[in-house]
Amino acid sequence: MADKRDVVIIGGGHNGLVTAFYLAKAGFKPLVLERRAQLGGAAITDEFYPGFRCSTLAHAAGPIRPDIVRDMQLEKNGLKLITPEVGVTALSPDGRAMVLYNDAKRAAQEISGFSQRDAAKYPEFQASLAKMGKVLAGALALAPPNIDDPSKADLWGMLQTGRAVRKLGKKDMYRLLRWGPMAVADLVAEFFETELLRATIAARGIFGTFLGPWSAGSSLVLLIRAAGDSHPAGSAHFAAGGMGAVTQAMTAAAKAAGAEIRSGVEVIEVRVKDGAATSVVLSTGEEITAKAIISNADPKRTLLKLVDPTHLAPDFVLKLQHYRMPGTVAKVNLALSGLPSFTALKGGNTDALGGRIHIGPEIDYLERAFDQSKYGSFSAHPYLEIAIPSISDPSLAPAGKHVMSVYVQYAPYKLKGSNWESQRVPLGDTVVKTIAQYAPNLPSLIVSHQIITPQDLEDTYGLTGGHIFHGELSLDQFFTMRPLLDWARYRTPIQKLYLCGSGTHPGAGLTGGSGANAAREILKDLKK
Amino acid sequence: MASSKYDVIVIGGGHNGLVNAAYLARAGKKVVVLERRYVLGGAAVTEEVFPGFKFSVCSYVVSLLRPEIIRDLDLPRHGLEILPLDGTFTPMPNGDYLWRVNDHGKTHREIARHSKLDAEAYDEFGKAMQAMCRFVKPILSMVPPDPATLNPRELMKLLFIGRRFQGMTSEDKYNQVQLMTMSAVDFLDQWFETDVLKATMSASGIIGTFLGVRSPGTAYVLLHHYMGEIDGAFRSWGFARGGTGAISNSIADAAREAGAEIRTEAPIAKIIVKNGKAKGVVLNNGDEIYANVVSSSIDPRQTFINLMDSGNVPDEFLEEVRRFKFRGSSGKVNLALDGLPNFKCMPGVGAHLRGAMSISPSVEYMERAYDDAKYGNFSRRPYIDMVIPTLTDPSVAPPGKHIMSCFVQYAPYKLRPGLNWDDQKEAFGNNVIDTIAEYAPNIKNLILHKQVVTPLDLEREFGLSEGNIFQGELSLEQLFFLRPVPGWAQYRTPVKNLYMCGSATHPGGGIMGANGRLAALEILKDIKGAA
Repeated sequence: MADKRDVVIIGGGHNGLVTAFYLAKAGFKPLVLERRAQLGGAAITDEFYPGFRCSTLAHAAGPIRPDIVRDMQLEKNGLKLITPEVGVTALSPDGRAMVLYNDAKRAAQEISGFSQRDAAKYPEFQASLAKMGKVLAGALALAPPNIDDPSKADLWGMLQTGRAVRKLGKKDMYRLLRWGPMAVADLVAEFFETELLRATIAARGIFGTFLGPWSAGSSLVLLIRAAGDSHPAGSAHFAAGGMGAVTQAMTAAAKAAGAEIRSGVEVIEVRVKDGAATSVVLSTGEEITAKAIISNADPKRTLLKLVDPTHLAPDFVLKLQHYRMPGTVAKVNLALSGLPSFTALKGGNTDALGGRIHIGPEIDYLERAFDQSKYGSFSAHPYLEIAIPSISDPSLAPAGKHVMSVYVQYAPYKLKGSNWESQRVPLGDTVVKTIAQYAPNLPSLIVSHQIITPQDLEDTYGLTGGHIFHGELSLDQFFTMRPLLDWARYRTPIQKLYLCGSGTHPGAGLTGGSGANAAREILKDLKK
Repeated sequence: MASSKYDVIVIGGGHNGLVNAAYLARAGKKVVVLERRYVLGGAAVTEEVFPGFKFSVCSYVVSLLRPEIIRDLDLPRHGLEILPLDGTFTPMPNGDYLWRVNDHGKTHREIARHSKLDAEAYDEFGKAMQAMCRFVKPILSMVPPDPATLNPRELMKLLFIGRRFQGMTSEDKYNQVQLMTMSAVDFLDQWFETDVLKATMSASGIIGTFLGVRSPGTAYVLLHHYMGEIDGAFRSWGFARGGTGAISNSIADAAREAGAEIRTEAPIAKIIVKNGKAKGVVLNNGDEIYANVVSSSIDPRQTFINLMDSGNVPDEFLEEVRRFKFRGSSGKVNLALDGLPNFKCMPGVGAHLRGAMSISPSVEYMERAYDDAKYGNFSRRPYIDMVIPTLTDPSVAPPGKHIMSCFVQYAPYKLRPGLNWDDQKEAFGNNVIDTIAEYAPNIKNLILHKQVVTPLDLEREFGLSEGNIFQGELSLEQLFFLRPVPGWAQYRTPVKNLYMCGSATHPGGGIMGANGRLAALEILKDIKGAA
């Protein structure tokens, strides 16, 4: 006998939990089904070595949209957000470091050690990003309009966005139009002369994507990120207890609002009858019928794997197959017996290590790292984004010891003439070797390590293609085109089946935006 | 001191300048065209570089010339004759080849030899691209709107585009959006599986840009080149009888007939500006020429930075001009041959030599060519597009001899520190010949003369800043209402009575003439308004 529910949500990642919360708050009784034993999707904390806990995948929040933090009362539900004064510390091979504080004045002061001109330009750039970010944030919080037949709400939303764009004034309005499709390398070169600064800001436009800084459109990614955080290189948004604490607080909020959450249950099929989703089938054979089924899994997994494609038009299937999600990121987590000493921070400026640490000192360095991935190898000299969260949150490691969390790019999902099983160790070695150039004592401090390849991202964490954003964030897969044109409004060609994950607008990063937008759209249907 | 007064001075006798002059003269204006070189045509020029060999030195094929211009100016009567160019032949290193021709059945069979699926998809692709061209074509003949104003006329233009977009089928919308945003290879990946087919097709997405085939935005350039139309047939390309210069000459002829005066070897030293208004020009020889309007067909860097005092142009505008991206990425090698190349994969003389021959054997080959350029080197193995015009039009070479025109990409204007183009020119040319010789080894024995045109030559000889053949990259952020300067895409400039009419304006480069025509229409509007 099938269990009956009003709403089933497949996947307990952060977006699934956000959607569950908003639906529960509106009086529905969502049931979240998480395949893994642990909730949180890509926002989780694991004890990967006795006594050492680390954000397994995502190590910093997007940041989470403020309205979501407020609505879900995440702080009351146990979340303690940590925002170190240092956003990013960029390391240079010449033994220097550029410490970018969140405070623009302090950042500019640091930059003036490299270039007076850049120091003067930095606040201007930040102000422009802030202005545009505000407009974009408005658009990111909207469900993309229906192009063929815009509703009143769509027109209102577009009008509001249009007005906000006009309010920018001619100069910034044209900037917005011009910057979107630009290569981020060009954009930063228009403002700055210091290579280290250029590369550090540009990195924000390529993170998690199959783009190099010279790829057109990489500025868009930077702009989307600026919508939540206008610091040119971004700031660091950590959580006490690691990123798992974010999703734990979300879980608590969703439960308190009335959602039911089950983990360790795998949905293997979404049943469809007469063009409408009717139930989900678990690996145990259990079937749960529901009035609506919402998937936090990526679009390909949802519609090409969980649904029998015979329920979809061949044309739609083809387009979805072409939805691009080639992962380019791997993750290395290190358990360390002590804090590595970075050559650039001889004075022992530990504060400088408290934010995110950037390795990728030149635009060409980043581009060359990208080049190799185009031909199916991981970068010999990768771009790294490092966090040592145990500095601001000592509870993550035994006293005096540390954990280091490293994003490695580029690590292409598809290797040419090889596979990730054989490349796992070489990748780990490359990462350690790369960091050791800046912190020579690192190898001697490593107690244990965890290497997560794009293949693992797919196999263990369910990210198709190993893509951490559920699909490339590029002009052709953005806004009304995410995941596909005509299907950007969280609905799918199958009635009563919805999407709420990062593969929908606005996607990208731990902001909760997709989950919140999806809930609002889905509620419109549920309340009919 | 010689002094004379005109209605309009057109700076530069390239095809756009000439079109501009012709339309203005036909409207009864007193027009003078001032060309720096001894010959008209700008980059659409034929020159007898070696005795008996008339090279289309730069631009070598035509397709985008707007039909309304051919009609309005009655160019065939002025000597324009376009001879069709049939097919694209791509030799491969494994001894195979891909040869697409205008004959639908033949091409279908040929592609099927590589992939049956692709042969089917190719037909579908052609239809889809035609639909896209139909959408974009009216935009080519349209003055870009200014989205930053609330002027209803401008908003109507945006609405017009919006409506046309709305009117498309869902399928076409999907394709259109992808074309505007994707990389050529990502776009083609959705249609085809044959690598060499994708490589050759993607090549038209990178021409004149400093982008690789995998860089977003290149799908649009692909469309830009797909839009070619000769006698109403989409996607057809041709030669002008007598070389590309014959096109410019026919336009010049039409302009003269309408009363325009055209002067060559009349280089300009300065544009005269008084009280924020353009008044005329000073020639290198000191002559001053005055006019009510100055229309510049040269690029914005030449116009606003090289020919004007900085005080005459608002700083903000100058800043935008400075950041307008040129960075030429291509060069040209023109060969005078004693005979015809013999391709290993298809020996002998055949129809494959009459069309375009493309060295673009794989997507990876194309991408690696770009990688070299990114770090300031010319491609070790470049993309080359070759034609032998003498097989179609023997008049441009002595009897029995041939011309082979090789367009080469990438040749980055800015070489890495320590290298310069004058030193690299020889090596660049030889590298091109070595590359061709890998496919047609006899080429080396056929060469009578060789002309190498580097991006630096394009700048010095032809006045194209940084050697960009389109007077500025055709990248998304430099198109339509952003070309060349956001807010100044309607051919006007912040300097009163000074206009732009070259390829740096909408709709961009290639021998289209649309820029010159649209600018002329805007100038006429303003003159009428002022009268």
